[in-house]
Amino acid sequence: MIVDAGNLALVVALLVSVYGVLGSFLGGWKRSPALVDSSRYALYSVPILLLISVFALVYAFVTKDFGIAYVVENSNLAMPDRYTWVAFYAGNAGSLLFIAFVYSVMAVAVALSMVRRLPYTLPYATGLLGVLLAFFLFVIVFLANPLDRLAFALPDGQGINPLLVHFGMFIHPPMQMAGLVSVALPFSIAMGALMAGRGGRDEWVDLGRMWGMASWLILTIGLLLGSWWAYTILGWGGYWAWDPVENSALMPWLALTAFVHSIMVQKRRGMFRMWNIVLVTVAFTLAQMGMFINRGGPVPSVHSFGQSTMGWLFLVFMGATLLGSLAVFAWRSGSLKSRERLDSILSRESAFLTQNVLFLAVAMVTLWGTIYPVISEATQGLTITVGRPFFDRVNGPLLLVLVFLMGVGPLLPWRRASTRNVLHALRYPLGSAAIGVVVLVVIGVRQPVALMALAVIIMGIGGIMHEWVRGTRSRSRKGESYPVAFGRLLAANRPRYGGYIVHLAIAMLAVGAIGSSFYDLQRDIPMSPGDTRSLGGYSFTYLGLSERSFSDRDEGTARFAVTSGDRDLGIMSATRTFYRDFRIAATRAAIRSTPLEDFYIVPSEFGEDGQTVFRVYVNPLVWWMWASGPLLALGTLLAVSPRRRLAPAQVTIPDGTGLARV
Amino acid sequence: MGKSGTQRDPFALMAIVGLVVVVLVLAACATSSELPELELRAQSINRVVMCPVCPGESIDQSQNPLALQMRAIVVEKLDQGWSNGDIYDFFVERYGPRVLLEPPTRGINLAVWLVPLIGVIVGGALLFFVMRLMVRSSGERPGETKREAILTDTVLTDEERERYFGRIEAALTADGPATDPGDDEDEGVR
Repeated sequence: MIVDAGNLALVVALLVSVYGVLGSFLGGWKRSPALVDSSRYALYSVPILLLISVFALVYAFVTKDFGIAYVVENSNLAMPDRYTWVAFYAGNAGSLLFIAFVYSVMAVAVALSMVRRLPYTLPYATGLLGVLLAFFLFVIVFLANPLDRLAFALPDGQGINPLLVHFGMFIHPPMQMAGLVSVALPFSIAMGALMAGRGGRDEWVDLGRMWGMASWLILTIGLLLGSWWAYTILGWGGYWAWDPVENSALMPWLALTAFVHSIMVQKRRGMFRMWNIVLVTVAFTLAQMGMFINRGGPVPSVHSFGQSTMGWLFLVFMGATLLGSLAVFAWRSGSLKSRERLDSILSRESAFLTQNVLFLAVAMVTLWGTIYPVISEATQGLTITVGRPFFDRVNGPLLLVLVFLMGVGPLLPWRRASTRNVLHALRYPLGSAAIGVVVLVVIGVRQPVALMALAVIIMGIGGIMHEWVRGTRSRSRKGESYPVAFGRLLAANRPRYGGYIVHLAIAMLAVGAIGSSFYDLQRDIPMSPGDTRSLGGYSFTYLGLSERSFSDRDEGTARFAVTSGDRDLGIMSATRTFYRDFRIAATRAAIRSTPLEDFYIVPSEFGEDGQTVFRVYVNPLVWWMWASGPLLALGTLLAVSPRRRLAPAQVTIPDGTGLARV
Repeated sequence: MGKSGTQRDPFALMAIVGLVVVVLVLAACATSSELPELELRAQSINRVVMCPVCPGESIDQSQNPLALQMRAIVVEKLDQGWSNGDIYDFFVERYGPRVLLEPPTRGINLAVWLVPLIGVIVGGALLFFVMRLMVRSSGERPGETKREAILTDTVLTDEERERYFGRIEAALTADGPATDPGDDEDEGVR
């Protein structure tokens, strides 16, 4: 009954969203407010309809309705009840429904935010938002309906891939998918403005930037959570392997990062109008590429959990939207002339442009490496693999230059700088980098590449700190106490200081990446109970293995007494779980994490006579990568938070403002 | 920041500091690890060889029995004095070129490496010329106004500028900032 209602709601949602798309475009073109409004309201109804479908599916899971094919494939009687509430998005069809629902909510939020502020762009933007929604619903209704019934009910289901039964896994994949679809939000606003013939006015920039940042944040958190999951569960002591699916999530992130920066140039200077729309189109195309690779693309990956054969449909859709975007460009490009011109190659504008190009370069290198195996197979019939060594070597230097720009760019003035005032602005960053390098060498950092990278990071941090100290001091001269002055400083120019906070978080991330890739210690150590070994200053005694059997799995927990120098670090335990039905082993590493380094033990093979091979890692500075997440979110939120609007009566603009507003 | 910051020649100071740093680094560049050299070599090989049955994972990463066997083979061959290249060839002979995560640097597959390299060089050159073109096309401006000079160059001393922008900033933030959407301005332009 409820399942039938859910099915019906799906079909209605499809029809309604198709109407929404056609009505929006037609209404915008014919300038019919009634049609535009009714189409928009049609779109508003989609989240409600999809909520019914989602509810029906969750209901089927919770009540263990094994008459539904999708429930059979993704749960069983043994599944703990708390997981049945969320298991509905573990498989392909259910995750599509989940994504369609999340996306419809975001699309409605975007439309609502535009009603007052961008009335002329609104019809086209809602039409574009609706296209992706209609596409998802079409796929769900006709190709992957999670509510499809079996001819007869089964007694039990097949259960879920046990690797997915992990807290991080219930957040990361939906977050990742939500991140990928959310790139459609800024894209729709930008492309909508272009279609409405209003691309040359910069009115769409504020909302485009806001939703671009929102999307960027979701993607970033998805990436961080995915890395964290890989680190704690996959048991290889790493967090990023340049795997195709990882790459496919990284590429739109890179393009979107370029967009949220370069949009500032349009906001402030009325430049790069065409370029910004190109960037967001590239980001959207890469996001669709990501969905394609996720949904059963041609490249094998460790992450292909929700695989299916429908990937090609996503590819066709991607091609169609790309062609459509190009057509709109051709039609409207005349409206995108810049308001201002570039004054100098040494300026903040050009730093932004260089940054954009570099981010796109990293994205393109990643794309190239990811699809090269397919090209090679098609052209020479030869399968080769392009893996981590390639990406490390090619993207590494590019990323290093980007970190350098992250330190320098914000310190350059708009319009024009002279070599002299650049050096002047950089005296503190460069000074701190020089001191930093000396300190690093003294404490034993001798790896040239690591040293260079760390110096660049220190330079960036030095620049940010200098800005903060300078701003706070200048405010405190007016009698504000330091904390108040600092708080007001951040609040006074949110895009700028929010950006600095994000940059600081990225610096933390980079420190973690450098520490753990250049200074990790790793060793496979066979141990019997009672043995004591040591690695990297830690010594650990294997206390023994306790084994427990459950209905579906066997768990072996190895316990260690760990000491570091004279300090007793207590007991650490690592678990290896073998799921009998799936013949899959999952490990949960024992990790002791400190800001300085992680000590990480993971069982790798259980031998006979109680001997077990453990893999032991000492991973320096990884802690900083996970710690950067909250800071990053905070900075992003600050950067997009709207300023309070003040009564016009209070505006008494002193003469100087004209100067401050360059 | 005192007056000295602007008076002293920044180049000389930086050159000296840079030189000291380079010398220090060169003097100190010797890495050491507590692990035996052969083990480190084995690890670096393991990271490049893919486990043939677990797509995308290196044998270092994978816990698959085949990966364990292959790791053992690497150790064995290293003990016998094989070079890294010999070991890679050994695996390529058995499992085909796809077993290496690092694409080969010879033959047609050199393209994997060359395309990004050429792309970055061409892209960088293009970027530079486009920016030059953009700057040129705006070159017909009449001489700089005083205002621009204040903003971009050094008509004002550092202290003056600081005071100047301090006042603007104070005016802007004295609980009555402008409501203009473009108010997210820099508090100062260096």
